[in-house]
Amino acid sequence: MTDRNEFDDAVFAEARGLATEIAPERDLWPGIEAAISEPVQARPRFMPYLAQAAAVLLLVGGSSGLTWLVMQGDGEDIVNGAPVASLTEFDAEFASFGSGFEDARDTQVVELDFALDRLSPEARADVEENLAIIRTAIDEINTALESEPDNVLLQEMLIDTYRKELDVMREVGGLTKDVMSRQDI
Amino acid sequence: MPALLTASASDYSQSMVVASQPAKSEEAAWIRRAQRQDMRAFEALYRLHIDRVYGLCLRMTGNVAEAEDCAQEAFIQAWNKLDKFRGDSAFSTWLHRIAVNAVLGRMRSSKREQDRIKAASELSSAPSAINDTGSLRDLAEAVDRLPEGARHVFVLSGIYGYSHEEASDMLGIAVGTSKAQLHRARRLLSQQLKKDGYDPEERR
Repeated sequence: MTDRNEFDDAVFAEARGLATEIAPERDLWPGIEAAISEPVQARPRFMPYLAQAAAVLLLVGGSSGLTWLVMQGDGEDIVNGAPVASLTEFDAEFASFGSGFEDARDTQVVELDFALDRLSPEARADVEENLAIIRTAIDEINTALESEPDNVLLQEMLIDTYRKELDVMREVGGLTKDVMSRQDI
Repeated sequence: MPALLTASASDYSQSMVVASQPAKSEEAAWIRRAQRQDMRAFEALYRLHIDRVYGLCLRMTGNVAEAEDCAQEAFIQAWNKLDKFRGDSAFSTWLHRIAVNAVLGRMRSSKREQDRIKAASELSSAPSAINDTGSLRDLAEAVDRLPEGARHVFVLSGIYGYSHEEASDMLGIAVGTSKAQLHRARRLLSQQLKKDGYDPEERR
């Protein structure tokens, strides 16, 4: 028993003689320097989440408010407004980011300008605020994608955010068309 | 004469080669400069401490690639947390604490990662033993083969001389667990080394 303890103690004492300083086989400094020299990468990655979250929140409130404002302003003539056109053809085209995407989006933007002119100042400000937030999110996601082009999450987020932009534009267009058509009768 | 504080930033690396062990006041000056985002001062600190930090990582992981990653991670974390270093403990102890965290974080990250580390360490023949000679090499290899928990405590307490309080604090375990793991490590080492015909008296 004593022998075993002595052996243990001798081994333990010898362990103190093991090298505590071991030089790495390669210089690790360049990797460290590169890592600490980089500007904070997290910002572009997380900002879209924040911007998008804000956009979604405002979109929900803004869209409801927008509907209410439009209905308040000219709603007397709208007995039972027709549902907003589903425009599934847009979904299919935009979601795939096909060659016609830019043209179709430009068309929506032009139509939006006409639609905005028919809105009350409050409703117009509401729509423009929502769109500004969404477009900021789009810019931020695109910026993040420049450094991480293969990031599937960012790609999906970009498509989703473009879709939200279109939803707002279509909703505004649909509502104002309803208002105009009912007034024209 | 160790490196002078008046040296220009570009002289830090060169001065570190000359100064194997700078005075405490010089290290303190480098720390203060690094805290003000002076990267060359931080490089001087890196060159001063890397061997000890890497040695600790290598002893704990038993794998060269993992040890390199952990050492790099430790210095990156240290740079990011430098403003929190108040000098309550020695800078080397503070760095070791970060390095231990880097090792534990890496090993806990996933079971698959642990399996990979284990497989890698089994393939290589105790890379941490390369700096040890004679019978110490056998001892280092036996340490590498210890179970993870026992190895971590043995490395910190048995090799680097940390107290159970310090080791348990670094590893996030109870002091009693640290003592039990050290006892287990000593028993396993003795069994293994006796089997291998190791003779500690040989070195005396």
